Amino acid sequence: MTTIQPSAVVFDNVSVTREGVRILESVTASVPHGSATAIIGPNGAGKTTLLLTLLDQIEFKGRITVHGTNGHSDVRIGYVPQRLDFDRGMPITAMDLMVMGHQRLPLWLGTRRIRRHQAMDMLQAVRAEHLASRRLGSLSGGELQRVLLALAIQQEPDILILDEPASGIDIGGEHLLCELLESLRRERNFTQIMVTHDLSLVTAHSTHVICLNRRVLGQGPTHTTLSAEVLAATFGIHLGLANIHAVTHDGVVEICSQDHHHDGPHVSL
Amino acid sequence: MTDLTFLYDAVARILPFECMQARFMQQALVGLVLLAPMCAAMGVQVVNFRMAFFSDAISHSAFAGVALGLILAVDTRLTMVALGVLIGLGITIVGRRTTLSMDTVIGVFFSTVIAFGLAVVSRQHNVARDLQRFLYGDILTIDDAEILWLAGLFVVLMFFQIIGYNRLLYVGLNPALASAHRVHIRAYQYTFATLLSIVVIFSVWAVGVLLVTALLIVPAATARNLARSAAGMLWWALLVSVVSAVAGLVISAQSWAHTATGATIILCSAVWFAISAFAKRAR
Repeated sequence: MTTIQPSAVVFDNVSVTREGVRILESVTASVPHGSATAIIGPNGAGKTTLLLTLLDQIEFKGRITVHGTNGHSDVRIGYVPQRLDFDRGMPITAMDLMVMGHQRLPLWLGTRRIRRHQAMDMLQAVRAEHLASRRLGSLSGGELQRVLLALAIQQEPDILILDEPASGIDIGGEHLLCELLESLRRERNFTQIMVTHDLSLVTAHSTHVICLNRRVLGQGPTHTTLSAEVLAATFGIHLGLANIHAVTHDGVVEICSQDHHHDGPHVSL
Repeated sequence: MTDLTFLYDAVARILPFECMQARFMQQALVGLVLLAPMCAAMGVQVVNFRMAFFSDAISHSAFAGVALGLILAVDTRLTMVALGVLIGLGITIVGRRTTLSMDTVIGVFFSTVIAFGLAVVSRQHNVARDLQRFLYGDILTIDDAEILWLAGLFVVLMFFQIIGYNRLLYVGLNPALASAHRVHIRAYQYTFATLLSIVVIFSVWAVGVLLVTALLIVPAATARNLARSAAGMLWWALLVSVVSAVAGLVISAQSWAHTATGATIILCSAVWFAISAFAKRAR
């Protein structure tokens, strides 16, 4: 692939300091248009913080430039949070959630038919139409994630941001979610930015990768970027003594640490 | 001034109880039918935002409001509302800007206003008698002017509930998500805090300082048990609050009961809550 794609997002020297602690140090990275970009790194690397700078929910130094599909300056960003912290006792249905941000008419005076149809189409797109009248509090992690994805897609985003989408999902479900994302991305033509620490998802489903551990330690197309050195630098610094044991022929990397850390730096992809 | 006689006559016809033939009872009923839905609607969001303690702090600022009115020699009703709104906004501003938890911030404001009220009252013994009105509430002495004020507030508040309900619900569910959806969280927080403070102070006159929070919370909590959707939540809260208000007023006037009106209203809604809790378990 030699075509040079314009960037959807450019982080230019982005730094974040919170209460004296440096969380991000001069992050300079770009996200190609239409790519599925993964931001990877160990816990505490500042991945979520980087997303928050993009969402403009946190103060930062530096510059972030965002470009829409046709060079529009008004870029729509869809956001799927890592965990939805909410009061599970609230009698709000998945349909209510889908309509809430789009309809001015208060829900207690009814839901407009067109909104209901739109919401239903979106839920169908993420295979969650059967959840429409369920209370949010009664949904499982994976079901909720799909509804949140429908909610984000409904905003017709130019850029879709997902924070650890696999964290609330059972094993196997994460790959299904990523396949779903791939087909949605092809259909709707958005740029996808996903934070994850699951390397198997990255190699299987992302086209571009940014390795982050407070600083950018590597970025580029997934398969050329994820070298043993980059992975060691990204995950190793955080974990102390990391040792790359083997990089096997089909891209499987095993990193084993010599100290017995809880995070278990045993990463295989 | 607008003549409200036709309204009172209608009340007497709709509720042909012996006790409802007295004018002050008719006035009280009109006042309550305006106040209860406002409290119920705001209560739904108070429960969603977990702001019960906030409304408690505002209601307890009523003492300080009265004290302030006495010091400044102005109408105490004016100072109560003004101070209530001031405290509400103060809590919201400080709460947003500090790392302290919200209940700590509220606690600081809460105790300060109470201390201020008590300090002034302890200097002037003749005020202490007056303050009992605010402890127990005094809906039976509501006059036409106050009813018109309530009606005005009712219009403003319902307008807010119509244009803001969905967004408030969104913010209550998850602020980060609402903000990603371009909801102006700050504007909604301040507007809500201001209106809630006004409603709370008006309710102090009706049910007293001690029971205001119940007037907000109990119908909303009942609604949560019964509703299956965001729309149902508001309608159930309105129904519970209005029925409890009317029933409470009528029961309190019976010779066998002869209880404080505010307290009786809250007891009626508590019965609703108990039933709703059973209904939820049975489901």
